[in-house]
Amino acid sequence: MARRSPAKVVGSRLLQALPVILLATFMVFSLLKLVPGDIAVTLAGDNATDARIEEIRKVYGLDRPFLVQYGTWLGNAVQGDLAQSLLSGEKVATSISRAFPNTLLIVSIALLLALATGIPMGIVAAIKPNGWVDKTVSMIASLGVAIPGFWLAMILVAEISLKLNWLPATGAKSFAVSPLEAIRHALLPGIAIAAYGMAEVARQLRGSLLEVLSSQYVRTLHAKGLSMTRILWQHGLKNVSVNLFTIISVLVNRMLAATVVIEAVFAIPGLGSLIVRGAIQRDFPIVQGVVFTMVIVVIVVNLIADLLCAAVDPRIEQ
Amino acid sequence: MTREKIWTTRREAMALLSGAAASVALGGDARAQGTPKRGGILRISAPTNPSSLDPATGGAGSDHAFLFTMYDTLTEWDFETLKSKPGLAESWSFTDPTTFVLNIRQGVTFHDGTPLDAEAVKFNLERNKSDPKSNIKADLATMASASVTGPMQVTLKLNAPDAALPGILSDRAGMMVSPTVLKASAAGNVARTPVGAGAYAFVSWADGEKIVIKRNEKYWKPNRPYPDGIEFAIIPELTTGVRSVTAGQNDLIYQLPPRQKVVVERSKDLKVFNGPTLYVFQIFLNWAKPPFDDIRVRKAFNMAIDRESFVKAALAGLAEPAYMNLPKSHWAYDKSVAALTPYDPDRARKLLAEAGFKEGTTIDLVGYPDQDSVQRQEILIEQFRKAGIGVRFLNAPIAEASAAFFGAEKRGSGLLAAWTGRPDPSLTYSLMFTKDAYYNGGRGAVPPELEAAIKESRASEDVQVRSKAFATVQRLVMENAFVAPLAFQFELVAMNKKVQGYRPNLLGKPKYDDVWLES
Repeated sequence: MARRSPAKVVGSRLLQALPVILLATFMVFSLLKLVPGDIAVTLAGDNATDARIEEIRKVYGLDRPFLVQYGTWLGNAVQGDLAQSLLSGEKVATSISRAFPNTLLIVSIALLLALATGIPMGIVAAIKPNGWVDKTVSMIASLGVAIPGFWLAMILVAEISLKLNWLPATGAKSFAVSPLEAIRHALLPGIAIAAYGMAEVARQLRGSLLEVLSSQYVRTLHAKGLSMTRILWQHGLKNVSVNLFTIISVLVNRMLAATVVIEAVFAIPGLGSLIVRGAIQRDFPIVQGVVFTMVIVVIVVNLIADLLCAAVDPRIEQ
Repeated sequence: MTREKIWTTRREAMALLSGAAASVALGGDARAQGTPKRGGILRISAPTNPSSLDPATGGAGSDHAFLFTMYDTLTEWDFETLKSKPGLAESWSFTDPTTFVLNIRQGVTFHDGTPLDAEAVKFNLERNKSDPKSNIKADLATMASASVTGPMQVTLKLNAPDAALPGILSDRAGMMVSPTVLKASAAGNVARTPVGAGAYAFVSWADGEKIVIKRNEKYWKPNRPYPDGIEFAIIPELTTGVRSVTAGQNDLIYQLPPRQKVVVERSKDLKVFNGPTLYVFQIFLNWAKPPFDDIRVRKAFNMAIDRESFVKAALAGLAEPAYMNLPKSHWAYDKSVAALTPYDPDRARKLLAEAGFKEGTTIDLVGYPDQDSVQRQEILIEQFRKAGIGVRFLNAPIAEASAAFFGAEKRGSGLLAAWTGRPDPSLTYSLMFTKDAYYNGGRGAVPPELEAAIKESRASEDVQVRSKAFATVQRLVMENAFVAPLAFQFELVAMNKKVQGYRPNLLGKPKYDDVWLES
C-alpha cells in the first residue's frame, strides 16, 4: 500500500479539525446561554432596575437572537478577531497571549517530570514483574493516581514555600523576561500536575512492556542469546513507543484540564484561571476564546502524536 | 501573635487608653507607629478583577478598592462614622432645599494635567447622569441640571430636596474623570485608560492578573501618598491570597471572610485588622404574600433569631449583631430601635399561634449554595425550629437567586443574602422600603408615614434633623418587621509588619490614605 505524504496527513487532519472547533465552541456558547445568570445583570451594576438591565442588553447587543450572537462571534473569530471582554474591555487575544505561556510552561514542566520519572519506573517494574521493585512502583503509581492534584499542591506550598522558603508560593513570571524565575514559579504547580502523569506513564509503560516482553519474538531473541538490555532498548522500547506517544497526547490534554484547578491554587494567571473567570462572570467572549485556543492545542498535540506514531510504526496510517 | 484591634467608638478607645493596650493603633485617633516614610511599593492581594476602571460604567462593589486609589471624590467620609467631609469640593451648601452649591478646591489637576475646575465637575456630573452606559444615573436622579456659577463653583438645581447628595458624591458619582481623556477616547470609553485626580495614577492593567499604579506627584493632599506605587495582584482564591501574604509575595490582603481569621492569626508575621462595616447579612422578606403578609408572622420570625449566637457560630465572632440596617457606630444609629427586636422564641410562638400559623409549617426561603452561606442557613434553620418555624432553603447561584426573588418570579418568601453599605443611609432605606423599590421583593405596600419619613430624611441637610428622621424610618421598618437583619460583618484585613497606618472604615471598602511602608 502506498504511503501518504506527511503533508497530506496534516492537511486532512486539519480539515477534520474544523467541525470539532465549530462544535466545541457552539456547545460551550449554548451552555453559557443555558445556565442561569446573565452578564447583563453584572454589567448593569449593583442597584440596577429591571428596565436598566433591559437597556444594558440593548447597548451590548445581548438582546439579539442566540444564533445571531454566535454567528457574529464566529464570523469575527474566522477573521482572527476574538472580540473583547464584555466586562473589562480587554481584547481576548491579548488576555490569551498573556495567559497561554504561563499554562504552557506548567504543562511542559509537568510533562517532562512525568516522563523523567514515569519511564524509568515503568521499565524497572516490567523487567521483574511481581518483584518487590514492581510492587513498590505499583504502590507509588496508585498513590499518584489517587492523590488529588489540588491537595498535593497545597501540601507542597505549605512545606516547600511557606516552611522552607525554597520556591515562591504564588504567581507567575514571564519566561521571556527571566526564564529562571519563571521556572521557579512554575515548578511547584508542575510537580502537582506531574504526579498523576508519572503514575499514568509508569503503569501504562509497564503494561505494554510486559506484553511485548512476553511475546514470541522476544522469546526468540532470548534464544538467540541477546542480553536483556539489548532486547529492552532495541526491541522492547521501540515497540512500546507507539503506546507512549498516545499516552503523552492524552496526558497533555488531561494536564491542560488540570491547570484549571492548579492555577487557582497557585494564583497563576494562565488559561485555566482565565476560563474560570470568564465562565463565572458569563463573559462569553473570554470563554469562547479560551475554548477555541484549547481545542486547537489539543488537535495539534494529537496530530503530532499521530505523526510520530506513524513514523515509528508504518502500519498506523493506513 | 500580633493583633491590633480597632476600637471604633471614642468611648471604647478612651476606656482602653489607660490600659496596656494603649500603644496599639486606635481607630483614627492615635497612630503611634513611628514617623511615616515615603517610598516603597505596596503589594496588595485583591480578590476580584475590576469590572471596569471607569467609575460611571463599572458595576461591582468590589471596584472601589481600585477606584478610590486613582479617583478622588467631590466629598469624602469620616472613616469611623461615614459623616461627609470635604474632598475635591472644599465646601458645599444648600442655598435653598433644591439648590446645591459646590465650591471646588483650587489648584487640583488630573493626572494628565487637565485642571480640575467647575467645568470639569459639571462635565462629569452630566456624563454620570445621562451617558447611556452610565450605571449611576439613579444616584443623580434628583439632579435636574448642573451649571458653572464661577470658575470653581458648580450649582446643581434639584427636582426635589436631596440631603443625601453630599454622601452620594463620596461614591462613584463623585469620582472625577479627566474630561480631556473622556472627550478624546472613542465613545468616551475610559474603562482601561483611567485618568483621575487621585493619589495614584494608572500605569497598567492585565486582566485577572495585575494592576499597577504609581504615586501622583502633584497630589493635592500634603505629603500623600507615601508609597511610590501600589501593585494589585488579582488572586480570586482567598486561601491562595493569604498564602501569598504569608510567603511575603504580597504585603496586604483585604475582604477576608471570617473563617480566614484563624488562619491569618496563626501566622506570627501578620497583623490583623478588623472593624465593623455597613455590610449586613439579612433575610429580605416578601410581605406581599403569605405567610409574611401577616405582621405577626414577620415579628415572630425576627424574634426567633438569636443574633448573638449567630455571630459567634456563623461569623467567628467577627460581626456585630444587627437589629436594624445601621450599626452602632453610624451617625444615624438609634439605640431605642434595637430594643424592638429581642430574641424571644416563646413570644414568637405566641405570636404565631395568634396568627393561626400551624406549628412546624414550612417557610420557603431562597439562598446561595456556597459553603459559607449554607453554614449560615444551617444555624438559622435550627434557631427557627426552636420557635416552631420550619424553614427550607431553595438554593441557587447569586445571580439566579436574586433574580428569582426580586424579579418577576417571586420565588420563596424570603432571601438570605446581604446588603452592602451605601454612603448615605437614605439610599439603603429608599432602595428597600418603598412601594416600587426593586429590593422590596414583593413590591408590597408600606405605611405612608414610612415613605414620608424616608423623604424627610433627604429633605434637610441638618444632621440632627436627619438623625431624627432616620430614627423614625428605622423604627417603622422594625416595627413592621419588613426585614430580618442578622449581623454586620467586620472588615478583616491582614498585612505584614512593613505596612503601617492602615485604618479600616465603616463602609468596608478599603482606602489606603495614610498607609506607608517601613523599609
